[in-house]
Amino acid sequence: MKRVAVCAVAQHKCDSNIWQKRFQGMLLDVLEDIKEQTGMNFSEEGGVKSIVSASDDVFDARTISDNGMTDVLGAHYREEEKMAQEGLNGLGYAMSVILSGHEDAVYVAGHCKESQGESRNMCTNLSYDPFYGRAMGLDYTNVAALQARAYMEKSGLTEEQLAKVVVRAREWAAKNPYANATKQVELGEVMYSPMLCDPIRTMHAYPVSDGAVGFLLASEEKAHEFTDNPVWLTGFGCCMDSYFLGDRDLASNFALKRAAARAYKMAGITDVRKSVNLVEVMDCFAYQQPMWLEGLGFCGDGEGGQFIDDEGPAKYNVNLSGGMLAGNPVMTGGLYRAAEAVLQLMGKAGDHQAADVNCAVAQSTTGGAGQFHTVLVLEK
Amino acid sequence: MAEYFGTAVEDIFNTMEERFIPEGTHGVDATIGYNISGEGGGNWKVTLKEGTLKVERLDAEVTGCAVTLNAEAETFVGVTLGKIDAGEAFSGGKIRVDGDITILVNVLPKAFRQFTPVIWARDILATVRERFRPEKAEGVNMKIGYDLSGEGGGQWTVVVKDQTCDLKEVLDDDCTVVMRMEAPVFVDLNQGKLDGATAFTSGKVKIDGDIGAAGQTASLFEKYVAEGAAEEKGEELISLKCVPSINQRYATGPAVGRWFDGLKEKKFYASKCPNCERTLVPPREICAECRVRCNEFVEVGPEGTVTLIDVVYYASPDPLTGKIRETPYTALFMVLDGASRDESFAHDLNPKDIDRIKPGMKVRPVWAEKRTGSYKDLLYFEIAD
Repeated sequence: MKRVAVCAVAQHKCDSNIWQKRFQGMLLDVLEDIKEQTGMNFSEEGGVKSIVSASDDVFDARTISDNGMTDVLGAHYREEEKMAQEGLNGLGYAMSVILSGHEDAVYVAGHCKESQGESRNMCTNLSYDPFYGRAMGLDYTNVAALQARAYMEKSGLTEEQLAKVVVRAREWAAKNPYANATKQVELGEVMYSPMLCDPIRTMHAYPVSDGAVGFLLASEEKAHEFTDNPVWLTGFGCCMDSYFLGDRDLASNFALKRAAARAYKMAGITDVRKSVNLVEVMDCFAYQQPMWLEGLGFCGDGEGGQFIDDEGPAKYNVNLSGGMLAGNPVMTGGLYRAAEAVLQLMGKAGDHQAADVNCAVAQSTTGGAGQFHTVLVLEK
Repeated sequence: MAEYFGTAVEDIFNTMEERFIPEGTHGVDATIGYNISGEGGGNWKVTLKEGTLKVERLDAEVTGCAVTLNAEAETFVGVTLGKIDAGEAFSGGKIRVDGDITILVNVLPKAFRQFTPVIWARDILATVRERFRPEKAEGVNMKIGYDLSGEGGGQWTVVVKDQTCDLKEVLDDDCTVVMRMEAPVFVDLNQGKLDGATAFTSGKVKIDGDIGAAGQTASLFEKYVAEGAAEEKGEELISLKCVPSINQRYATGPAVGRWFDGLKEKKFYASKCPNCERTLVPPREICAECRVRCNEFVEVGPEGTVTLIDVVYYASPDPLTGKIRETPYTALFMVLDGASRDESFAHDLNPKDIDRIKPGMKVRPVWAEKRTGSYKDLLYFEIAD
């Protein structure tokens, strides 16, 4: 079977208020970074001719927003597709472009500037129907609280375990030059931080973040033109759960388990706990880290709380980037996860480099309370 | 009297009194003019002031109102009934509004209940065949007579036989039952505005013949639903009008920021591609073709040469002010002096020059007196004679 290589990644440092740049400006930085690393060009002869962008029209406040940034995507006079789900799915798009033989190199870039709109909760409120969900005031934050409550009941997850997740995330974030929230915190600070929507506290939620990420993907034959240190994308899977919250068992991880099973099957992974030694999960809220790890199969059903106490996250090198809790914008939460996994597998993760990593999983979610899940397997 | 969609323009104004909601006009003091042209049209002036309403029909064109609406009779009726999309009629120039449009948008919906066209007994009876339910009429054999008096009245016989239904515009002698009432009572009963038993006991309806048969008629027919309302009621469709709005804080970035800075000093800056040397107006951070960052700025203009002209006749709001733009307005494309040949730039044209402007002409900028670094710093371009 053909293989798809990641030849390079570029991350814009995340921040809560990149007021001085347009979102296009962040993408331009990322584009230049990839060009510098790889010599990527967009010429008709041998250059990249396929571009996948990932963005959200409501966060951009523009209709079909990718049309307004062809220049900073390198997409001028080339083919371009927009991924409206979280950007990790853009890598899935790009993999299919290469695996089908359509093109042998694809540039993938995602961005989101959460600080542009007055309130990111107002943006995600628009994902609900105008008659009922919006009227009730549903958004990704308070819908997550429903799931947090359901999952805490099921798993016995405690306030202290949630706080441990946050404290550890900040410790790792401090070593990651692209992370946003790097201020060190103590358990008590997290446990008594103001309540956002019970049981989610202020410090359980990822900070408002702006950022952009770029990837250069290529076929196995083409990859050597750009790098001698490729990372292979060997498995990809995604799964959509019901839009209506009432139709879902919010604590079940149904969609994530399906997505993971598809990705693992493609990668030939039979026992994830034996094969995978680095995990990046998109934990927008603290409860999601144990919950998603459970869905990915790193611990048993309902054992996420105990997994925290048993140092499971350390054992599997979970979120050495700091994770979403350290602040990435929601539409690129998974792209940042994959970028970290790539750097780790390439051995380029600097101060937070893990030893002996050869197989990683990156996960992302879009929609309220993990409606849609995506899982990517990356190998050295 | 000319009717459109079964309704005359007059009907709309004549029912304003009964549709008026005084409590919806708190703090309102406004006059609204209507100049409705074409057959059945006319001129009306509507005055709303703190819970009071005055509707006047004038002999001449209404002027001097806070807002005046001008439209053809058909358009006016169609929009009132929801048969013609108001937004399209407006942007297509079929409705012209002078003055403060917010009165029409914000005040009217609170001041009046929706106009509903008059329904006649004849309209209701005309649908009796299609509303007939044969499955409920097994073994039923009867003639139902209607003797309706007053405006819109008449005599009809509905014949139900062998699971079929027919309507005759005459009152047969051998009716099983005859129901006598004023035509508006019949209309109200069919619209559910009046309860059948109450109407009978209060004497509004008189029944001759088999009273039991009269009671049975309701089950033989589907409920009458007015035309146009049919689909909505049938499928319970409701439409919700609201404006989703999230305040945005857009960044200019360094290139467009430089442009607005320049406007303050009456200067136009272009960014220049270090590779192909073309100028980008307004400036951008990257040359899309060469895919290289453009850090150099050069001054261009202030005069330019016209390349393309686009005259817009439909109305649309200006997002910077929220006000409706004056029409016609022009998007004028030009190459500023010193800019590379293929890179044209667009701005407004002084409306007085619309009739004279041609490609190839030289134009010059006209600046606002007070410039703050915004689009409005430049009023427009005009022909440089």
